[in-house]
Amino acid sequence: MNKTVNINLAGLFFHIDEDAYLKLQRYLEAIKRSFTDSQGRSEIIADIEARIAELFNERIQNNKQVIRIKEVDEIISIMGQPEDYLVDDEIFEDEPQPSYKSKLKASKKLFRDTDNSYIGGVSSGLGHYFGIDAIWIRLAWIILILGAGTGILLYILLWILVPEAKTTAEKLMMTGDPVNISNIEKKIKDGFENVSETVTDVAKNVSDSVGTAAKNVSDSVSKATKNVDFKKQGNSIKSSSKTFFDAIGDIFMFFFKIFAKFIGIFLIIIGASTLIALIVAMISVGVGGIIPGLDLVDIVNAGNTPVWLVSLLVFFAIGIPFFFIFYLGLKILVNNLKSIGSIAKFTLLGVWLISIIGLIIVGIRQASEHAYDESVIDKKELAITAQDTLKIKMLGNDLFRKKIGHSSSFKLAHNIDGQKTIYSSDITVIVKSTSDSLASLSIEKSADGRSYEKARERAQNINYNYELKNGTLFLDSYFTTDPKNKFNDQEMVLVLYLPEGTVVNCHDNTKTFFPYRNYYGTIITYKDTNHYLKVKEDSVECLDCPVEEPRKELKIDVDVKGEDSSLKINNKGVEVKVDSAKLKINNTGIKAKNEDVKVNIDSDGIEIKSDS
Amino acid sequence: MKIENTKAQMRKGVLEYCILSVLKDDDAYVAEILETLKDAKLLVVEGTIYPLLTRLKNAGLLNYRWEESTSGPPRKYYGLTETGQLFLNELNTTWNELQNAVNIVTSQKNNKNE
Repeated sequence: MNKTVNINLAGLFFHIDEDAYLKLQRYLEAIKRSFTDSQGRSEIIADIEARIAELFNERIQNNKQVIRIKEVDEIISIMGQPEDYLVDDEIFEDEPQPSYKSKLKASKKLFRDTDNSYIGGVSSGLGHYFGIDAIWIRLAWIILILGAGTGILLYILLWILVPEAKTTAEKLMMTGDPVNISNIEKKIKDGFENVSETVTDVAKNVSDSVGTAAKNVSDSVSKATKNVDFKKQGNSIKSSSKTFFDAIGDIFMFFFKIFAKFIGIFLIIIGASTLIALIVAMISVGVGGIIPGLDLVDIVNAGNTPVWLVSLLVFFAIGIPFFFIFYLGLKILVNNLKSIGSIAKFTLLGVWLISIIGLIIVGIRQASEHAYDESVIDKKELAITAQDTLKIKMLGNDLFRKKIGHSSSFKLAHNIDGQKTIYSSDITVIVKSTSDSLASLSIEKSADGRSYEKARERAQNINYNYELKNGTLFLDSYFTTDPKNKFNDQEMVLVLYLPEGTVVNCHDNTKTFFPYRNYYGTIITYKDTNHYLKVKEDSVECLDCPVEEPRKELKIDVDVKGEDSSLKINNKGVEVKVDSAKLKINNTGIKAKNEDVKVNIDSDGIEIKSDS
Repeated sequence: MKIENTKAQMRKGVLEYCILSVLKDDDAYVAEILETLKDAKLLVVEGTIYPLLTRLKNAGLLNYRWEESTSGPPRKYYGLTETGQLFLNELNTTWNELQNAVNIVTSQKNNKNE
């Protein structure tokens, strides 16, 4: 008993035994392999199929008869073995085909050569592909691994993605030898496997690789160029199939392929470098503490999201798209790349979406840490009365920051006990007048938080010190807080209430802590430091400021009206005319006159003339 | 160097010329061409002819038309084109010259041997 298969051969219907069918299929595949596209493979195969159908038809008496392996063998002996189909091109070509070699090279495919492997055969496979000895590739790996350790990742990726050359046909494709019957035979004689297996595998491989996008594109292009070919070649007298249009097609294909490869290389570089950078970043975050700035990241991380989680989310959110870019580049570059499979693709897509959602949640959490802004106010009386003179000076701390000045950023440092602490100089000093007899200092600490309580707690955990000594108020130029409180917009406002009549002197280093203008109702701004100021109701009077004398200003009012009036001021002098009155001042002297009187002052003396 | 290869090459070289000659007067479909060639022992297996026909057709020496067949798939009837005719004429001359040349060379050798 034998299973049968129904086949359609050149439009005719046949029942055929399964083993006979497989034999026929292998036979046709082997013939297909003997031709290239440029020889008109599909047409030749169609003709051969038609002939085989005809021969089968002759051998079948009725519709129910099944074609057995005997018939197939008969047909094969009539049609000839696959190598009989081979036409020695050199006999028929008028001129040697220059593209022959490049065509062979184009059919070279990347496989892993497990026969000559150290690990996965990636290096020797690449060596075959690029036509160089595998030792150079291995050296490159070693340099890459020693250089950044990234070679390992790349190797593993290639190991997974590049298929192993298992069959004879694949081994031939790997080394770039044309896959035809004689070559396969040669390999087999060299001690590999048997023909039939190889041929089925070739068939499988062909159908596999047809699926790849790059192949599809190049196929359709070559088909398009071929159509042009057929039409034009009808008029050609030359027996050679190589025509002008063929050449143009080849050139076009050549540049198209090069262009595609460049894009592929570009994509691979982008994808690989991003992945490598991400992995290096991941490793450094994972090991932790290697990067000195990393604990700073932890301090702003008020949401207390684990750093490893965030970095993992970032890794997937960025890494997965770039992995696909890398994969696309490889696919363009290497025709027969193993598909990563739809399960893997959808898993990656899912992981990517989850990462994006995760990052959004982390972002919202982080933002919500600023939802509440709360402050704690602590008011203390100072032993300063209206008769006293108070000096104000800021105190720095050499452990933290030598320069004393306002700064809204935060830093991380070790305090005297050697413990890590956050410090910041986000302090504003405000002075207000009061009618009370004693001065007082109000210390306002504020911070952000997810809730009212959190913000308040954070504000309360701000450490701040001041000291009043010998009539001088020493204010710390910084405040500190424990790193576990995180940095979340902690800031301080010091309000100093001074009784009216007090004289205050602010040291030069307080300058940056005072507001620029009288914000918050301060009566001292940054301009007023370094002077002795007397506090008055809602203002201060400077006691040692240089008194500005009222300026003597020269005013010239020129009012010229009417035809008979005029005023002239130039380098010669001044001339004023009002009706009949006239005044002239120049280097010779002063002349004045009106209808009745005339006055002249010059080197001759003073002359006054009167008409009356 | 294998004798089979040389033989095959010699045969294949003549084959194109012979196919064109078969089609000189009448159009024929593949089985008919094959029959003629096989009768003349020029062809052992049929497979060889298909790439040759396609090549000649692509070179514009042959054209074909489809004809329905009562017993089997539609048949391709091949015929010579005008360029094919010219090509054949030229090959005829070449063949005669070649035959002549080969005769001279081989008979000379025979003479010497005698």
